Amino acid sequence: MSVEIEVEGQGLATEEMTLNMGPQHPSTHGVLRFIVKADGEVMRTAIPDIGYLHRSIEKIAEKVGWHGFMPYTDRVDYVAAMTANQGWGMASEKLAGIEVPKRGEYCRTIAGELGRICSHLLAIGATGMDIGAITPFTHALREREMINDLIEELCGARLTYNYMRIGGVAWDLPPGYQEKVLEYLDHLEPTIHEINDLLSYNKIYVERLANVAVVSPAMAKNFNLVGPNLRASGVKYDLRKDQPYSVYDEFEFDVPIGEGEMGQVGDCWDRYMMRIKEVFESIKILRQALRQIPDGPVIAKVPRNLKPPAGDVHVRVEGARGDMSWYVASDGTEFPYRVHIRTGSWTAMSIIQELSRGLMIADLVAVIATFDIVAPEVDR
Amino acid sequence: MRVYFHNIWISLATAFEGMSITFSHLFRKPYTVQYPDRIAVRVQDTLPYRYRGILEVDLEICTGCLACERACPIDCIRIDAKKDMQTKEMLLNRFDIDMAKCMYCGLCSEPCPTGSIHHTREFEGSDYSLESLVKRFVKVPVPAYKPKKSGEDDPAILPILERGMRYIDEFADPDDGSGA
Repeated sequence: MSVEIEVEGQGLATEEMTLNMGPQHPSTHGVLRFIVKADGEVMRTAIPDIGYLHRSIEKIAEKVGWHGFMPYTDRVDYVAAMTANQGWGMASEKLAGIEVPKRGEYCRTIAGELGRICSHLLAIGATGMDIGAITPFTHALREREMINDLIEELCGARLTYNYMRIGGVAWDLPPGYQEKVLEYLDHLEPTIHEINDLLSYNKIYVERLANVAVVSPAMAKNFNLVGPNLRASGVKYDLRKDQPYSVYDEFEFDVPIGEGEMGQVGDCWDRYMMRIKEVFESIKILRQALRQIPDGPVIAKVPRNLKPPAGDVHVRVEGARGDMSWYVASDGTEFPYRVHIRTGSWTAMSIIQELSRGLMIADLVAVIATFDIVAPEVDR
Repeated sequence: MRVYFHNIWISLATAFEGMSITFSHLFRKPYTVQYPDRIAVRVQDTLPYRYRGILEVDLEICTGCLACERACPIDCIRIDAKKDMQTKEMLLNRFDIDMAKCMYCGLCSEPCPTGSIHHTREFEGSDYSLESLVKRFVKVPVPAYKPKKSGEDDPAILPILERGMRYIDEFADPDDGSGA
């Protein structure tokens, strides 16, 4: 929301104030710094300063080999590690010409959607907390912990899953897993409605987010926003639907878009609500996947010393923060020649400077939170 | 004016709606438990079988094949295996795992043919120095395990091997195609 300031003695020059927000600020979701140039409460610009969490993951890939890089992909986006796993797996399989067994693909889908719900729950809770509502955060994290328990049973870890392997997944679903997840999904749906009542439709909360930092569809396309941020601006584009990979073409689900219920299309509230809508879509996909899962092996036979033929591939997966694209080049040896990862948070980061003009300082927190920026994903 | 008062009314109503949910949680069962002493069993025992905790090696069934050392992406496993010229046996002189470096990815326990190197469900590993986190499994050089063609019959090794095999069964096996 841009604010016009009318002060007596308008001709007088006011001094620009430079503020540092971060690197250690609770609302930056990691280590992220904004250099805010402000005129009183109103920002003239907020310049993002990134690189605090750079771990040179892309370079590490060139040193550890094809199989060994899988645990590192967890660290690209540690809030939703499953889709990063899948991206690396798909890229390597495409290079080496490996076909994943059907059950393996279903396991990947189930794990990926669980991870997506996990990530969106954190986004929902963290947005509330950044705005000042602390109770919904504990509710969202409670649900997230329950999903973590399910994922722990599946792959043995709660955060850095390392569940997928090149050619499939490492472990099959444990016995009785389908029923357990289905039971949990029945519990999750009312809880999300509860969070809606608690937070989403709260008037104070709506006033803080509606009509703030509106991103028009054209602007969203120009800045290459991806995933939920793009869809919140009213652009119906989902990789799972438009370029189906894995087994996503076998499921029925909708692609929700921002509708501007509380204000304009593409405002902060729409972006927040997008995550809640997507949780319901993920639940739909999970229900179908768990019921349809076929029998068979979960992993293809892949040599331990994998040497894909020389060449390069580009693979895109729909992560929790949008289109995650992997460019992988091989020179025919046991180490990748070059790996490049382009992530959703990275593109969302670029739009903040443009949006911040004329925003209040307090609204910057809302912008960062609703774009769901995770700092390690920006820097990698 | 009407809009103004309507907004106040809506704010109050939605706030109370939220409060009622918070209030209802007063009568629900608590989700949290005190750590570590307020539950009947140890936390470690409540964890799933696949939990990736601190690594453990059963030297009795280690074949010295170095598959885990090769699989480790950060080289935190160090094995010295040498062939004894007199007895023609593989001797393990060193089997160190640097638990401070280990990232618990589980890639080492996958290729192990006997399930010797495996993750336990133990996670409480804090210590005062980095050196003490290096686990040295070989105290005195031991001969490596040699699988017998007729099946294992040593009663001392049998239960350990059985545990190892059960651990391997958890991994998807591409060879037999059963996927279990």
